[in-house]
Amino acid sequence: MIELRAVSKRFDGKRSVTALDGVDLSIAKGEMVSIVGPSGSGKSTLLNLIGGLDHPSSGDLLIDGASLVHVSDDELTRVRRDKIGFIFQFFNLLPTLSCLENVSLPLHLRGWNRKQINERARELLDLVQLGKRLEHLPEELSGGERQRVAIARALSVYPPILLADEPTGNLDSQTGAEILRLIRDLQTRLNATILIVTHDMGVAESCRRTIRLRDGRIVEDIRREDIRREDIRR
Amino acid sequence: MMLLKLLTWPYVRKHKLRTCLTIAGIALGVVIFVGMRTANDSVLYGFQQTVDRIAGKAQLQVTSSEAGFPEEILEKVQSAVEVDVAVPVIEATAATGLAGQGNLLILGVDMTGDRSLREYDLEEGEQSVIDDPLVFLAQPDSIMVSRDFAVRNGLTTGGKLALDTMDGPKQFTVRGVMKPGGLASAFGGNLAIMDIYATQKVFGRGRMFDRIDISLKLEVSVERGKAALEKILGPGLQVDPPSSRGKQFESISRLFSIGASLNSLFALMIGLFIIYNTFSIAVAQRRSEIGILRSLGASRGQIRGLFVLESAVLGLIGSLVGVVFGLLLARGMAGYLSNFLGEVYGVAQKTESVAADPRLLLFAVLTGILTSIVAAWIPARDASQVDPVKALHKGGYEMFSERENRLRRMLALAFGAAALALLFSGGTAGPRLYGGYLCVLAAAVLLTPSLVRRVVALLRPAMKWLLPVEGSLAADSLVQSPRRTSATVAAVMLAVALVVGLGGVANASYSSIHDWMTAALNPDLFVGSSESLTDRSFRFPASMGEEIRRMEGVEDVQIVRTTRVLYDGAPVMLVATSLESLARRIHPKVVAGDPSTMYRLAGEGKGVIVADNLALLHRLKLGDMLELPTPTGMLRLPVIGITIDYSDQQGAFLLDRTLVVRYWKDDTANLFRVYLQKGVTPAEGKRRILERFGGQRRLFVMTNEQVRTYIMKVTDQWFGLTYMQIFVAVLVAVLGIVNSLTVSITDRRRELGVLQAVGALRRQVRQAIWMEAAGIGLVSIILGLALGGVILFYYLGIIREDLAGLRLEYQYPFNIALLLIPTMLGAALVSSIAPAESAVRASLVEALEYE
Repeated sequence: MIELRAVSKRFDGKRSVTALDGVDLSIAKGEMVSIVGPSGSGKSTLLNLIGGLDHPSSGDLLIDGASLVHVSDDELTRVRRDKIGFIFQFFNLLPTLSCLENVSLPLHLRGWNRKQINERARELLDLVQLGKRLEHLPEELSGGERQRVAIARALSVYPPILLADEPTGNLDSQTGAEILRLIRDLQTRLNATILIVTHDMGVAESCRRTIRLRDGRIVEDIRREDIRREDIRR
Repeated sequence: MMLLKLLTWPYVRKHKLRTCLTIAGIALGVVIFVGMRTANDSVLYGFQQTVDRIAGKAQLQVTSSEAGFPEEILEKVQSAVEVDVAVPVIEATAATGLAGQGNLLILGVDMTGDRSLREYDLEEGEQSVIDDPLVFLAQPDSIMVSRDFAVRNGLTTGGKLALDTMDGPKQFTVRGVMKPGGLASAFGGNLAIMDIYATQKVFGRGRMFDRIDISLKLEVSVERGKAALEKILGPGLQVDPPSSRGKQFESISRLFSIGASLNSLFALMIGLFIIYNTFSIAVAQRRSEIGILRSLGASRGQIRGLFVLESAVLGLIGSLVGVVFGLLLARGMAGYLSNFLGEVYGVAQKTESVAADPRLLLFAVLTGILTSIVAAWIPARDASQVDPVKALHKGGYEMFSERENRLRRMLALAFGAAALALLFSGGTAGPRLYGGYLCVLAAAVLLTPSLVRRVVALLRPAMKWLLPVEGSLAADSLVQSPRRTSATVAAVMLAVALVVGLGGVANASYSSIHDWMTAALNPDLFVGSSESLTDRSFRFPASMGEEIRRMEGVEDVQIVRTTRVLYDGAPVMLVATSLESLARRIHPKVVAGDPSTMYRLAGEGKGVIVADNLALLHRLKLGDMLELPTPTGMLRLPVIGITIDYSDQQGAFLLDRTLVVRYWKDDTANLFRVYLQKGVTPAEGKRRILERFGGQRRLFVMTNEQVRTYIMKVTDQWFGLTYMQIFVAVLVAVLGIVNSLTVSITDRRRELGVLQAVGALRRQVRQAIWMEAAGIGLVSIILGLALGGVILFYYLGIIREDLAGLRLEYQYPFNIALLLIPTMLGAALVSSIAPAESAVRASLVEALEYE
């Protein structure tokens, strides 16, 4: 499903910084993978590259066997809109749109008709238990509710890949646990491939596979049965 | 100052484009102000320079305005004990017919006495011409030219120069070449000297002089000499120092000068909103920075001072840039303006160089700085009131507080009520009219945020229907940022209103001029002494009119003499013809008086008919007694009629020609209005007249169609300058849109990033920004068209009461409004291209990380 071959990413400024350094990684369909590591280890960069938000400096990155390197921005956008859903730490909901409109946004962008959009958005908001808050604006919701709207938006086209960057980082522990349960539940229902970047050990443990990065390299690739709290702390 | 360096400089460096746009906002206003005023001043300076150089040592000049006076006056002047030297002068322009040389200013002087006043510094070996003026006089084809002119045209002493005279083209012999400088450099060096009696003949002036130049005895002061001469000559002739001619020209071209100043100040006002916008956004974006400063101990005054100082620096840079480009514009425009003013007002002048008045430039720079400070004052005050605790909280600062909204609405209401009160308490003239105009502008600007919200709410469904996502996002962005949006909308709205207002004036002017031409300009042919209807250098003998009348195919001829006379201190056009004949032929719109009797009475010399614009400008009404200075004394006549007449911008008197012959002793004519018999085509009539007179006289025959075309061409030129200023105002407004969108994109970086992250194509992001620009454009157009309709009312009032005295009918310029909609929408869309591209090319990763 997702394959990285010797992927590197350098940021050239006054001083050149290598965020990812020759990463090889393969993630199968339906896997739920957490990515952990200290700040600056390259977690978010890895997620951005897989999500097509950024281009690798070298190496190859394939989604469903198709390379994302050397494709145009619009082609990259099509990959994003058809195959990838994003969940951000700060929700990134559009403040002027209601819950229903925020969830409808990606569908509108795909040119769906209004009836289909309405049905799908309501269905997803029901799924994240916000069926009664359709017309609320983001500022009228709690942090957990906002993240649920963001998840519903990420799932609006049933993307095969869901990328979550610190999805619980901005929530209290109870709400965070609820969101995580929701993500796991959706993964089971939709058989989506899920990648979660997190600092939260609980979140990492809940995934079958955990990849640990340090200095832009994969230093550990841990299956669920192997993962322990102390491993993550290292 | 240190704060400025530490905080402002990095911000400016980070937002180079926005800083440039802000500077451009002020610079454009200053450019147009400096450019138009300097070009205008240069023309006035050029005129005054010519007057001074020609005046030589003359301390006083006797004139009868432009009309001239009989030769006998010279003896009276010379007999005055205070006078040392008094010499007659005729000043006229003639086309040289030489490629690229334009007109030649011909000074007709009496060579026997003129050297006492003027230096004719001739080249070596030619002094004998001057030493013995009889040599010059004995040969009536004698002419002296400046070396500059001689060199440019390969002329030497003894060479021949062809000039059009009243008796057809004639060869003149160059008897002397004047050294450069002084007199020889007047009128850009295009100067020639002729004997005054030869000049009378060449230009058909009869036994008339234009003026007498005087130097007084050593012990006589100018004031004493003036008083003595005025006593001797009576009130019909003016005795003034040469400098007063400049003032008269200035008063003639006053309308243009005021128009240029008003429009440039309007452009500056639009610039004011751009600055306000920029500073509002800067304060919003630097809120946390301000909060930190406040928590570190910066006082409110220091914060306010920082932003005010920043605005002053930007204003200074913008003003200096504006001054430089304004002077370049003036350089380009001065020549054009000189020709244009010569064409419109018929005054001979030549602009040699750009006369930059340091006071004007200083005024422009100070105005630019002041505008910038005024515009930044409210944002600076807002900055000083930032609460350090709340400063780091995101959101909300883009909105106006309810208190602010209420205050704005109440102030707008108060200004609106004041405008209405002024209007209904006689506010159609004077200070109340201007007060009402300013109140309307203030009310409109204050109401803009509320109106923007309402209009965008109305437009949102349409925008959403057009492009569901892009349209909604664009509409919401406009509503959510009223500070940013309303300042831009206010700038564009003012630009649109300016276009509607001036366009409405232009429409009404064209329409009125067209009506006047239909009513009053109905002869089949116009026989003039010059290609330009306003040039009055050459004159025909009146007998020529009788000769034309007797020609086969001619039904009637009106002999016309036009000249400027001084009335109420201003040079006003006098149109003299046979009013009895005129009454039978034309049917002008009568504003006051009895149309059935006024022409008969005026024809009998019992009254004067006054153009409506003159009546309005000088507050004349039916029955008022007019006093006109003539060379033979004051002519007193009652106003017996007021008609619509656009013969001159300053207004015109219509007199029977017999009065001009009697009082001015002037039997010449500049124009013959010829009516042909039925069956004779204008082309045939023209051919016959040219055949009859072409070989003997200098004359130009124009058909009715050609005269109308000529008048429309001059009108087009007049409004062409206005349109150029409108273009600059629109440009300033477009800069405002670019500025606003650039700010909007910076503010919405994250939102646009999210949009792309969830699948928006570049095209869709572009469309959202285009929609936002179109939204700003559309809202501005709606509000601007409405405001323009109101300010047109005030413009017409100002033109009627103060500027031109033209009673133009109110007609909303729907044609211009229809043209404006696609133009402004197009401009808005074009201005969104660069911001949209910068939005789609920004790094997505940075946009999403942005906090």
